[in-house]
Amino acid sequence: MPRTAQSSPGAARKVGTAAPSTFLERALVVLSRYREASIAVVALVLAIYFQVGSNGEFLSSQELSVVLRDTGRYGLIAVAEVMLMITGEIDLSVGSTFSLAPYVMVLMSIGWGVPLAVSAVAGILLGVLIGLVNGIITVRFRVPSLITTVGTFFLLQGVVVSIYNSQPIVAPVQEPFNEIFGENLYSPTDSVWSWHGLTAFTPFLWTLVIVLAMALVLNRTTFGLHTIATGSNIVGAREIGVRTDRIKVYNFMIAGAFAAGAGVINTTQFASADPLAGGPFLTLQAIAAAVIGGTSLLGGSGTAIGSLLGAFVVATLNNGLVMMGAQATVSDIYLGAAIVLAMILNVQVDRMRARRRV
Amino acid sequence: MSQNAIPALNPDTPVILEMNRISKTFGAVTALVDVSIKLRKGEVLALVGDNGAGKSTLIKILSGFHHPDSGTIVYQGKEVHFHSPRDARAQGIETVYQDLALINDLSIYHNMFIGREYHKHILGMKLLDNRKMRELAQTYLNSLGIQIPSVNSTVDLLSGGQRQSVAVARSIYSSPTILVLDEPLAALGVREGAHVLGLIQNLRRQRSVSIILIVHNYNQVFEVCDRINFLHSGEIVLDASTSETSEEQLIRIVKSGLGRQAIAAAAAEVRAGTESTSTGGL
Repeated sequence: MPRTAQSSPGAARKVGTAAPSTFLERALVVLSRYREASIAVVALVLAIYFQVGSNGEFLSSQELSVVLRDTGRYGLIAVAEVMLMITGEIDLSVGSTFSLAPYVMVLMSIGWGVPLAVSAVAGILLGVLIGLVNGIITVRFRVPSLITTVGTFFLLQGVVVSIYNSQPIVAPVQEPFNEIFGENLYSPTDSVWSWHGLTAFTPFLWTLVIVLAMALVLNRTTFGLHTIATGSNIVGAREIGVRTDRIKVYNFMIAGAFAAGAGVINTTQFASADPLAGGPFLTLQAIAAAVIGGTSLLGGSGTAIGSLLGAFVVATLNNGLVMMGAQATVSDIYLGAAIVLAMILNVQVDRMRARRRV
Repeated sequence: MSQNAIPALNPDTPVILEMNRISKTFGAVTALVDVSIKLRKGEVLALVGDNGAGKSTLIKILSGFHHPDSGTIVYQGKEVHFHSPRDARAQGIETVYQDLALINDLSIYHNMFIGREYHKHILGMKLLDNRKMRELAQTYLNSLGIQIPSVNSTVDLLSGGQRQSVAVARSIYSSPTILVLDEPLAALGVREGAHVLGLIQNLRRQRSVSIILIVHNYNQVFEVCDRINFLHSGEIVLDASTSETSEEQLIRIVKSGLGRQAIAAAAAEVRAGTESTSTGGL
C-alpha cells in the first residue's frame, strides 16, 4: 500500500509525505517498503557469486545441505530474537539454552531410559522455563534484558559444562525420531527427491515451517499486533490495555523454546550432545541474522521472513568463503561488515520514516 | 449559544460514578489529596486546573493506569478496582490520554481496534479479521466526518489533528458508559477543534454517555460542559454547574493568586454568590 497521502479538500493540515527528492531517499523508500525483498536480493546475489566462484559447487546438494543446515540453526533462533527485538528486548542466553536443553534430553534418555521423543519435549520445556525466568527478571525487576540474559547465559553455560565436565555425550539413536528431527540419511546414491534426500534438509525445513508460522503470528494475530504495539509505544500500548509485560514474557518463552528446539535438532543431527555446541558465538550469529534480515533493535518493527533470509546470508558467508578456499576466520570480516551495513540501513530507513511524519 | 440548544441535565439523574477521597503520591510528590468527584449519567464534567494540579493523575486512576493509595471508586452502584486499563475498558470506561496512546508502527485501522480486535477462524486458527476492521474503521471515520488519507496508512504519517481525531473516534466507537478526554483539543487547529467539540456536543445531546473533559480553554468549558470541577494542588476547590457560574467568575478564581487559600476563598465567594441566586447544583 503506497504511503502517500491523497489530497482531500477537508484536510488542510496535510501530512508531510513529500515525494522523496534525492536518489538516496527514493532508494530508502523502496527498501522500507520491501524490506524482505531487498534482503532476498542480497541473498540471491551472494548465492550466485559463490556458485560462480566455486565452479558450480555451491549449489550442489552436499554443500547446500551444510549451508541450509546452518541457515536452519541460525534462523530458528533468529526468528525468536526478531519477536523479542520487536518488543524492544533481546535474549543473549539462547546460546546456552541451545547447549543445555539437548544435554538434558540426552542425559534423561540415557540415565532413565526415557524415549527421546519425551525427553526432547522435556528439553524444550526447560527452554520455555528459562525464557519465563528471563522474562520475569526483565519485566518484574526492571533489569534490562541485555543484562538479564548475559547473566543467565553465563549461569546456564556454567551449569551445562559442570554436569559432565565439559564432555560431549553420545546421543542414542531412536528411529523415527532421529530421521524426522535432523539425522541426515542422504548418501550420494540417493535421489535428492527421496525421503533420504529430504533428510539432508530437515533442520532447514523445520525452521522454514516455524518461520512461516511466526510470520503468520506476527502479522495476523492479536498476539503479533500486541507484540508490535509493545515495542512501538509501550506507554501508549499499556494505556490502551495491551498487557505489555505479559507480551514480553511470552516472547522470552518463545525464544527459550526455539533455542532449545534448535539445540535438540542439532544434537539429533550429530547424535551427540556437546556442552559447547552453542555458546556466545551462536547467540551473536542469530542476532546478526535478525539484524541483517531487517529488524532493528529499536523495537516496533521487524520481519520474521527476514530472519530466515538473514540466517541464509550468515550461513552463506560462513560456508561460501571457506568453500572458496578462504580461511574460516576471514568470513568473520565479511559478516562483521554485513552486520554494520545492515544496521546502518535499518536505522536510516526508520529515521527516514520518522522524518516523513512531520 | 449552544447551551440553549441542549436542555440542562435533570437534577434527578442518577450518579454513575463516584470517586471518593482519592489520594495518590508518587515518591515525594503528592499528586492528589482526598479528591472526590461525582458524575451523573449523561453529564459532561469539566476538570480544570493548572498544570500539575493532578487532573491527569485522577483520570489515570479512573482508567486503571494508576492505582490510588487510598479512596474508593463506585461505578454503576458498585465499588470497583481497576487493575489495568484493560479492566476499565472492559467495563465501559474509555479514555483518550494526552499522549493519545496511538501506536505509530500500526495502521489506522489496527489502532482503532487494538484491544478489541475482530477475529476470523481459519483452519482452527484465530486470525485477525483485517478486512472487517479496515471496512468498519473506514465507515466509522467517514461517518464522523474525520478526514484521513487511508485507514491503511500508519498513524505516524498523520498530522496532529488527524491523530487526535483518530484517538477520539477510537474511544467513542464502542459506545462507552464513561468517556474521559484529557485535553482532546490540545493539538487541534480552530476548525478541527470545532469538529471534535461538535462530536462531544452531539454525545451530550443524546445524554447516553457521561463525559469527563480535561480542558484549558474556558470558552469551551462553558460551551459543552454541564459542570466544572476546579482542581488545585491535588484538591477540588470548586464544584459548580456551568449554568450557575460565569466564565468571569471562573477566571477570577484562576487569577486569585497562586496560594491555595486565595483560590479557596475566591471559590467560596463564587459558591456563596451562586447559592443566593439558585437552589444549588449537585
